Amino acid sequence: MSFSLNEVEVTARKAARGAGYPWGLAEEAGRATRWLCAQGLPGCESLAALLDADLAAALQDHMPGGLESPWRGRAELCPLGTGAALSDSAARVSGGTLDIADVAQPMLFLPFVAAAARRLETALSLAGPGFTAVTDGTTLSLAGTIPEAGTLTLRPAAMPHTGNQEQTRAAPDSRAWQTLNRFAHRTYAPATEESRLMGAGAGLSDND
Amino acid sequence: MTDPATATIPHRAPDQVMRLSRLGSLHQCRLSFMRQLTRRMAAEGWTFSRPVFDIDGNGVGRAVYVAQGPRHAYSLVAFAHDLPDDLRSDRVIAEAWDATFALYDGIPTDEDLDRLERNVPLQEAGRIADSELSLSRANRSVRLWAHVVDNLAAGRQPDPAEIAMVGYLMRTTAVYGSGKFGAADRDKIANRPEMQAPFQAEMLSVWLTRTFVRDLIEHIARSKGGDKAVALDPAIARLLGIGNSTGLGMAPFLLNHPVLFNNWIMAREEAIARVRSLPAATTAEAELFRELLQRCQVLVDGWQSDHPVQQAKLKDLHRDLARLTGQAEGDITNNHPWDRLVAWSETALSEEGQEFLASLILEPYPDLVDGLGGCMADSAPDAFRIDGAMTVKTLRDLLNQTYGWAFALDWTSPETIARAWYTSEEKLEPRLGERFEEPIGDYEQPLAPARDAAAAHAALAGWPDDTPVAEFLLRHPEHRHTVRRAQIARIAPYGEIRDNTIAADLLPIDMLRAKLSFFGATRFDPRSDRWVRITMYQGAPYPEDLSPETADLWVYPEAPS
Repeated sequence: MSFSLNEVEVTARKAARGAGYPWGLAEEAGRATRWLCAQGLPGCESLAALLDADLAAALQDHMPGGLESPWRGRAELCPLGTGAALSDSAARVSGGTLDIADVAQPMLFLPFVAAAARRLETALSLAGPGFTAVTDGTTLSLAGTIPEAGTLTLRPAAMPHTGNQEQTRAAPDSRAWQTLNRFAHRTYAPATEESRLMGAGAGLSDND
Repeated sequence: MTDPATATIPHRAPDQVMRLSRLGSLHQCRLSFMRQLTRRMAAEGWTFSRPVFDIDGNGVGRAVYVAQGPRHAYSLVAFAHDLPDDLRSDRVIAEAWDATFALYDGIPTDEDLDRLERNVPLQEAGRIADSELSLSRANRSVRLWAHVVDNLAAGRQPDPAEIAMVGYLMRTTAVYGSGKFGAADRDKIANRPEMQAPFQAEMLSVWLTRTFVRDLIEHIARSKGGDKAVALDPAIARLLGIGNSTGLGMAPFLLNHPVLFNNWIMAREEAIARVRSLPAATTAEAELFRELLQRCQVLVDGWQSDHPVQQAKLKDLHRDLARLTGQAEGDITNNHPWDRLVAWSETALSEEGQEFLASLILEPYPDLVDGLGGCMADSAPDAFRIDGAMTVKTLRDLLNQTYGWAFALDWTSPETIARAWYTSEEKLEPRLGERFEEPIGDYEQPLAPARDAAAAHAALAGWPDDTPVAEFLLRHPEHRHTVRRAQIARIAPYGEIRDNTIAADLLPIDMLRAKLSFFGATRFDPRSDRWVRITMYQGAPYPEDLSPETADLWVYPEAPS
């Protein structure tokens, strides 16, 4: 089934929140997943795998210890928390190389590289085991296959010559989509008769 | 947006404008989305046709209405149903309606119509595609529907007093756009000039729906009355708008789109500042103002509500209109007339009356105002990005500017945090609950920016002034959404409501009214503190009457002759 990118963003945001991420990072997850899908990459699948790994339960262990290179955490780095840190501190990577140790789902780190590139008005290259991605924020050129985890190196690069064809719809794998919806469901309050009557406000009959 | 050549009077401050009581007193104006649409369609000479009207004598079937602009065609695809009375509910959790609609991007083929017929009547339970721009439904106003059908079938016109009392034959509820239920994303149409202003697809869908409803009731009356039946008198048909019943869903929208909301308010505030800055008005401008003020009397007289809050506001508005009429009999051509009127209103009128006036002074000045309609979309997607190089001191200052009023509140007191916004498991609709009476706290949505800002401000206490915000967020990701909002406020000073959105005495209808006023709605009729009925397009021309002469001031009823 084909989904709008808005549906992807909303579902990803809710899913990340349902998996225990703070709202601000859940918003990042929504944007990041949407960006990946617009690039034709399996963003929903990558997010589903990340949420199943349950890094949010001890998020600080999966955040970089500081902002000086190399970035590493007490455990495998969360691409959302680490990506947000990159997007926040884009200026720090303008000059040299940033090494980022042991990142889960490196694909989800890519949208933050794109955001940093847009802010710096330059192209950045992200390299890891078996892949190199170059983006100026809108165009993405990807060589190789992004692994499930790996240590990454970020550095300024020349503009990509060719990029992925931008997509306006997403067709996620149905199991991944189900996983996201399962996490999203945790953000919904179970209905009670009280809330049904009080919470939404509209009347029960429209016969007037 | 500010043009120093025309605006010398400053904008009203966000602390004044962004209070809920004032937002809950806003009125439609030249910038309203319905009026932007009708003006554009008339100016560009859009044409309209009804290639399909396949509806039986019981009012069941389908119809297509095509609006052809200079660059694109848009088609309302309508399905009419035979709905038993016991299924007629305007709750978002309803599962059947009198009529269901989609706005198709282009002109649909028969295959498209068959596909839509399998999905659109199901609304949320169906799927639409990226060829669709909106999804909506409507129910009959049972009383007025029967009155109009019976009279037309018997060869008589309906009673204009009955028509005026209700104001519409059908009431829409949710009008979904922007990628919902599989529809096209906003990105698909955002760069088309006719869709650039907010909600133009939805507004077009509702305007065409109004025509469909008129055609449908004439069709049913003809089936019932045969040769005796008559068509609806066009003058009476014009008095019929389309109703809308809106619950809480709109309120979170304003909080979730601070840049967009800012741009609506900012455009109107800029328009107000430009007009207030005029040193003088011509006699013709002053006369137009007086004429529309008089015509508003009819509009306000027809505005009924059973809700005590709105009744009190209407009483104020009636009194304010009388005062304003007296005041406007004086000199309103010299010595910064509009600024003088606005300054006077702040001492003499209620907020309802002040905002009524602020909208009305824009009317004589299309050249100063209408161009601002193009500034009302959200064109700053990167405002989402946090500037982590900002220092903690600057962030503190920003928080103070936007939320300083909230730091004095006691955020541990039950009255201050009495409510919580959540999403219900059934039908996924936004709801507002009592935090201390219902098990909803764990499901709370981030719709209390003031409380969260107070918490972030407290968390910043131990951090040195020159620390980059990125370092604070690395250790405190739980304040990330708040830091984002505070930074957005730099470019969107009117993006944040400056009141407590979870207080015990919150009236969500204030938020609904703010949004609906920008649509161009009239006759706000709250049915509770969180549910409002309104009228759209009352007085507007139908497609066959749309022209530059009829496209704009239709919202003001002609004074009775």
